[in-house]
Amino acid sequence: MKFHVLAAAAALAVGLAGVAEAHGPTRQKTSKSVEINAAPDKVWAVVGNFQDASWIPIVEKTEGTGGNDKDATRKLTLKDGGAVVEELLTKYDAEKFTYAYRITNDVVKVLPVTNYSSNIVVKGEGDKSTVTWSGAFYRGFPNNDPPPELSDEAALKAVDGLYEAGLKSLKDKVEKGS
Amino acid sequence: MTNQNGDEVGVLDLATGKTVARIPVSGKPAGVTLTRDGSRAYVTSPEGKALTVIDAAARKVVDRIPLEGGPLGVAVHPTGRPVYVADWYAAHILVVDPETRAITARIDVGKSPSGLAVTPDGALLLSADRDSDELSVIDTATNQRVARVPVGERPFGVTVDAKGERAYVANVASNDVSVVDIAASKVVATVKVGERPYVIALAGDRAFVTDQYANRLSVFDVRTLASVGEVDVGEYPEGAQASSDGKRVYVANWFGNTLSVVDAETLKVIEEFETGDGPRSFGLFIRATP
Repeated sequence: MKFHVLAAAAALAVGLAGVAEAHGPTRQKTSKSVEINAAPDKVWAVVGNFQDASWIPIVEKTEGTGGNDKDATRKLTLKDGGAVVEELLTKYDAEKFTYAYRITNDVVKVLPVTNYSSNIVVKGEGDKSTVTWSGAFYRGFPNNDPPPELSDEAALKAVDGLYEAGLKSLKDKVEKGS
Repeated sequence: MTNQNGDEVGVLDLATGKTVARIPVSGKPAGVTLTRDGSRAYVTSPEGKALTVIDAAARKVVDRIPLEGGPLGVAVHPTGRPVYVADWYAAHILVVDPETRAITARIDVGKSPSGLAVTPDGALLLSADRDSDELSVIDTATNQRVARVPVGERPFGVTVDAKGERAYVANVASNDVSVVDIAASKVVATVKVGERPYVIALAGDRAFVTDQYANRLSVFDVRTLASVGEVDVGEYPEGAQASSDGKRVYVANWFGNTLSVVDAETLKVIEEFETGDGPRSFGLFIRATP
């Protein structure tokens, strides 16, 4: 039993340290939306700056380079432990109010996923907007028969939670100016 | 269509774009292939450790063969048996007899074998070994690997041309396609494509490559290897295959839950059909009907 646990831990360490992009066979996806009582350009002004992720509740600090140009990077320092997530901007379209990015350093301790890519889009007209946040990712455990905390279910639950909290916070920020 | 997130195989009528059957297949179905006569579809379930056998005309599951590891890529010999299944977690390919339901051999290959393809004459099986950056060439008569061809980084999909002369391998990490001379077992060219190429569909003299991160197809001429254009398709394009007459290319968009129908000549998207959740269709999935 002990050996089994050790072997699993070793396999996990290899998967992470190697950044070999090894991953499970089933990519997960999720998408969450929120309606905001504000014009799309007002919402975009908050969510559309890649160098300011302060609308995401768990983010303490955003530092980055490259602005909102493709291939820009940012480092998100998280509250509660100070883990740093590094991200790369892969697409940015200010006219369509959308951008896409990827996590370049998997930090399964805080977000139990690997090979994470995401996009955000703001749509709407008049004083109503809908923001949709979508992600595609593999579970945190790259090998077969994952432990529960690094399973497909755990990955989905974590990302769903992040999106729900983030979109609620964005809505509050835009509507209440908080 | 292997609708992986929906745990089902969808059957789409390409003339109308309507889903005509939804066949429940558990274990996150991913890989798919059809026998040459179109009578059987074989579907892998990497999370369910199984190979599902579908009567393609009746649209019914006729068998579910328990396997091991993480069954992913799948190919069937032109004679209808055996079926080859790549075990993503092991460095081997399972040889499965669909009649006796037995694993008759395990062929040693590189790490994380992914896409599989058999040459039209049935003599050779090719395996894209993702985490070894190699294409394995296997003699199907002996079930032994006879060559290892170094390709680009993280090869995933492999497609053999109609003459069985060349294989095209999509390298997801190096964003290129390795063109392999099968008889010589060597790479004769490398073609740059878009981000995160997954598989290659061949239609006439053109290769259509699904670029997952770019949401488009990179298209190149297989004679000159020059680009002939790009086609915007749905989100996260994955499986792709041409119609038997080479006029259309069908693309499964995993995130967008659609099937794009592309005119192979004009490179225009003609239609976009709705599918089930998470269509991957990793393998051969177009069945010609009488």
